[in-house]
Amino acid sequence: MFTVVVLRRRFESVVREMSNTLAKTGRSGVLNTALDFSCTVTDSSFQSLSAGQGLPVHTGAIHLIPQAVAEKFGDDMGPGDCFVNNSSYHGNTHCADFTLCSPVYHQGELVFYSIARAHFSDMGFPTPDTYAPLARDYYEEGLMLPCIRIQRAGRDVPEVIDICKANIRAPDIFYGDYLATLGAVRTGERRVLEICDEFGVDVVKQFLCEYQDYAEAMASEAIGGLPSGTVSKEFFHDSVLPEYPDGIPVRATLTVDPDARRIEIDLRDNVDNLPLGINMNEATVLACCATAIMNILGPDVPRCAGALRRVHVLMREGSAIGKPKFPAATCASTTNLAHILIEHIQSMFAELGEGLGTGYGTIGHPASAPVVSGSDSRFGERPFVNQIMLGYWGGPAASGHDGWLTYGSGTTQGMLWQSSVEVVEAQQPLLVEKLEIRADSFGPGEWIGGGGASCVLRARADTLRFTCNSGARRFPPPGTAGGEPGAPNLAWKRSADGSLTELPIFFDVVIAPGEKLVSEGCGGGGYGPPMRRDATRVLKDVRAELISVECARKTYGVAVMRGRDGYEIDIDATRNLRSPSKQQVG
Amino acid sequence: MSQAASAPFHIAADVGGTFTDLVLRDARDRTFLFKSLTTPADLSEGIFNGLALMAEAIGMSREEMLAAANGFACGTTAATNAILEGKTARTALFCTEGFRDILSIRTGGRHGFSIQEDYPEPYIPREMTFGVRERLNAEGAIETAFDAEQARAQLASCAAGRPEAVAVAFLWSHINPAHELQFAALLEDLLPGVPYSLSHQVNPTIGEYKRTSATAIDASLKPVLRQQIAALEERLALNGFRGQPTFVCSNGGRTSSREITQKPVYLCLSGPSTAPAAAVRLAARAGIAHGNVITIDIGGTSLDASIARKGRVAMHREGSIAGHVFGVPSIDVATVGSGGGSIAWVDAGGMLRVGPESAGSFPGPACYGRGGERATLTDANLVRGLLDPATFADGQMTLSLDKARDAIGRDVAGPLGISVDEGAALIAAVAEQDMVAAIEELAIKRGFDPREFLLVSGGGAGGLHAARLARELGMREVLFPHAASVLCAYGTATGDIKFDFSVSRATSSKAFDFAAVRTALAALHAEGTAFLERMDVEPARRTLRFTVDAHYQGQVSHLSVDLDGDLATKDDLARLTAAFHAEHQRSYAVQAPDDTIEFVAWNVEAIGRTRDATHTTGARTTAIRPIVAERHRSVFDHATVTAVEIGLIASDSLTPGDTFTGPTLVEDRLTSIFIPERCIATVTQDRDLLVAIDA
Repeated sequence: MFTVVVLRRRFESVVREMSNTLAKTGRSGVLNTALDFSCTVTDSSFQSLSAGQGLPVHTGAIHLIPQAVAEKFGDDMGPGDCFVNNSSYHGNTHCADFTLCSPVYHQGELVFYSIARAHFSDMGFPTPDTYAPLARDYYEEGLMLPCIRIQRAGRDVPEVIDICKANIRAPDIFYGDYLATLGAVRTGERRVLEICDEFGVDVVKQFLCEYQDYAEAMASEAIGGLPSGTVSKEFFHDSVLPEYPDGIPVRATLTVDPDARRIEIDLRDNVDNLPLGINMNEATVLACCATAIMNILGPDVPRCAGALRRVHVLMREGSAIGKPKFPAATCASTTNLAHILIEHIQSMFAELGEGLGTGYGTIGHPASAPVVSGSDSRFGERPFVNQIMLGYWGGPAASGHDGWLTYGSGTTQGMLWQSSVEVVEAQQPLLVEKLEIRADSFGPGEWIGGGGASCVLRARADTLRFTCNSGARRFPPPGTAGGEPGAPNLAWKRSADGSLTELPIFFDVVIAPGEKLVSEGCGGGGYGPPMRRDATRVLKDVRAELISVECARKTYGVAVMRGRDGYEIDIDATRNLRSPSKQQVG
Repeated sequence: MSQAASAPFHIAADVGGTFTDLVLRDARDRTFLFKSLTTPADLSEGIFNGLALMAEAIGMSREEMLAAANGFACGTTAATNAILEGKTARTALFCTEGFRDILSIRTGGRHGFSIQEDYPEPYIPREMTFGVRERLNAEGAIETAFDAEQARAQLASCAAGRPEAVAVAFLWSHINPAHELQFAALLEDLLPGVPYSLSHQVNPTIGEYKRTSATAIDASLKPVLRQQIAALEERLALNGFRGQPTFVCSNGGRTSSREITQKPVYLCLSGPSTAPAAAVRLAARAGIAHGNVITIDIGGTSLDASIARKGRVAMHREGSIAGHVFGVPSIDVATVGSGGGSIAWVDAGGMLRVGPESAGSFPGPACYGRGGERATLTDANLVRGLLDPATFADGQMTLSLDKARDAIGRDVAGPLGISVDEGAALIAAVAEQDMVAAIEELAIKRGFDPREFLLVSGGGAGGLHAARLARELGMREVLFPHAASVLCAYGTATGDIKFDFSVSRATSSKAFDFAAVRTALAALHAEGTAFLERMDVEPARRTLRFTVDAHYQGQVSHLSVDLDGDLATKDDLARLTAAFHAEHQRSYAVQAPDDTIEFVAWNVEAIGRTRDATHTTGARTTAIRPIVAERHRSVFDHATVTAVEIGLIASDSLTPGDTFTGPTLVEDRLTSIFIPERCIATVTQDRDLLVAIDA
């Protein structure tokens, strides 16, 4: 066991060093501020070892990347080669996730793959955006790199770099981010080879088997403790398509068999591919299922391939929540439907046993977390395109825990860093007029969802272009087990004369000097009936002006009154409001 | 028992959570060590109890001793504990209108994730946070003028909450402090006598969270610490001390009570911050010229690690207490919950884990016999034969080997189907892996390779593990200082006077604003010099060390680069940019020589060097006298899964020049040091042990 302990730590430190390299050298804000990237290594049969600090949606199905390399190139590769892949049809997550994978050879034998996946701030989409939710097909996405060689024997393949630079906005930032990602891959390669030299490749291989078996044993044990049963459930994403007037459904059937230590998620009953960028793909479907299940199984189960041997996902080709059928667009496959899918699965566990599961978190990016582009007159018309991460909040509630404030969505779980207001204003010619927690946005419950953000962005002397893929307006993040939905996601353009124009959930809008982008982000869904919430917690939020007096009374059955030191609970009125007879009437 | 000490004295106190360590150094550089119980309610009580012991030991009255002291230095956990225990002042925060939640939002990001985790509370509750109508932009120009009427109204609402301190942090105030100063004038008027802190003075750097949090912490500490420090000062003066006491800061240096009460945020993590610099000085004295030092301190519940390269201790601005970033420069200390009390358990997958749960010192490990039932690292070390049950902690406690074996048998050996001896060896090995990971992370995030470093082991529990940690990290040498168990107090007694000042002044390598930078550096020069003058540092001992924080255009995290010499010409700038590219290459293995470098903040460390800090590298002690252990003990080795014989040597029998090989256990009154196989230990002139690994 001693060797397992040592090697586990060694491999974790490899991933940590890869991530550190990428974070510190990345040029675009989405890499160096939000840390929207993940690094890992897999063995030669594509089993991932450590999800490390990566994003759940990135690492949950990383095995598809080396698998694509092996299938496409077979023996036609060697030491120092590196392959780039951003294609959903070759196992990648979405077009803007630029994934590098390098086979690692020890004394001529392919032993590992070193992999880094980073969200680039531009991938040459027709519009300056990295999600393009309205893309009708593959050809309306960005530059496609379907698992191709970008380095041969440690040197750039210049044609590939030239094609990238010719198609991607801000080619210098692109090349800086490419070098950062490549640096991570090469760091991983160097470090795993050191491990092989020190321990011998046979010991390392033996460890790989034992460790995956260990993860499987941990997962089995956790599944064995769950209640058994089957649950089917449907929820909706806001629709922009006439053929789905009542929303785009997300459906799943969950079967937990604790005796067989097996979980099955059946997604085959979902709609066909949509003429939109939000179609999912194999990588994101598997990653979302993995994330949800690992959340339920708890943080002690190692997040590696072995832990998922007991989880079976059934999906259909040609389905929006399944494998895409060419030429379906999938450029927003890591967001909207993916956001719903994770907590949709988690919420079904609440129907299996009391206290299990969660509400839903934020769906889509609120308008305060858009991709912004333009040129900056403060620096000689310097062009920029960047996703800013302000107010991407609203986590789901779970039994015993209110939602995490800076959560974002299930695909990122709060791992993304928020932009600093001052750094945003230094890097883009805009002024953030407001960024605060939106009152009454929390999905009510015994445990409340995380709040959304009230945010106002004003253009200074330059005209700005904002694109955004939000959701959750007609269908805000639902609560679970009697919990209620968070407030819906709203967005407007405020003209110079003060008038407001509502923006659609997917927007591409120009904000001229003096105009503003106004965002009211959704809150996360609650857990358990709000009438059961501890009244002192309600009072605390009323005092903090996060929950209104009226909402406290109506939703939570807590009456407050002005005392000498501010608000106090009106005990008699509260008892009356919370009595069973009242609740049935109300 | 009394020993003669020659005046003048230098006295240092390190007030810890449980014990107050005191050090007296006399004119002949002799060091006397004392311990007394900390008195949390009144900082000065524990110190004065210790001073009484000290005076008695040197055969003087306390008054005589203090009158003959020309320095009194104090490290204290008072600020850290006040924050941890929520015993800070009731503080109001005034921020730019529209940004009341800066302390809740923090920076985002998360260390791993779980659906079973509560979001942390803000440092100052929202109902005590007030928006002020005003706004500056990124260039410091006014977008919304300061609205004095609205500010007055907000102050009136705030006054109803009876604040004991006020923090003021407006956006972009580090570029233009005008609005914060206007607000301060109103404060003086409307809340007279209430202490306040302004963000552009506390921590003038970009990033609203770090600046606001530092300011909130600073203000909240003012009433509490002013009172405690004033009381101590008064009492010292009453008892004959004629100088100005100094306090250890988060940056590892010392400053006067007057300075620290102006910026008490600098007292955060004051306690342990002198150890790394002390380790660097001890390494130099032992003849280690490169100055690359990793210092570890393993205690009952945790391991603290810090790193120094070329003699410079690594600093950062991310230091935090209970998750609240205090933002001012501090020693970068990595902490992991692995210590003697860490509890061993077997998880559902059959893997042995050690910690993070700890039995602490009470009930403590099973072998303490104080009611602790679970197997800990200390139990494992006892079973391994590395602790003597009779002489543990200076004989203050008798350890029970039976209880340790029972606990390991039940919690570890049984479930894993191995022997108790094997279980004990495995517990130590697993705990050491967690320690290695923490040290490695500290090095990796700065781009340092641990193999180029010396490991210095302080703290009571480090001796048994440090050499094995060094081997696992590929390090070649370990130094066990003679004063290992009181490294902090030693560091406080011998450390520099130091304070940091900085100015935000953004410019770039493409269009460098020489004039603005000249003004900024001149202001820093004046500020640093004035500080050293106030501290009565003679000119010959003054050092002003200038640095600039810089990054490539578009990057957010920055690197600090030294400013050597003038910055007046294109050539000077070329030297600076070359230094930046080189540092980037060293840290991250890449550089971009054609890219624009943005310079963000200019800093100065104003240093008053003490006598101890100015000596040069000592000579390496030559090993002249090979010795062999006369006693032996059988211990279990996890690598070979067999019992091996190790030598036993009493530390007080060792003299400089003695040399011996492992496996050997060096037993001391307060700690034991394990020298593994294939290692050679040499006793230095200072009676430290310098151990060569795999030599």
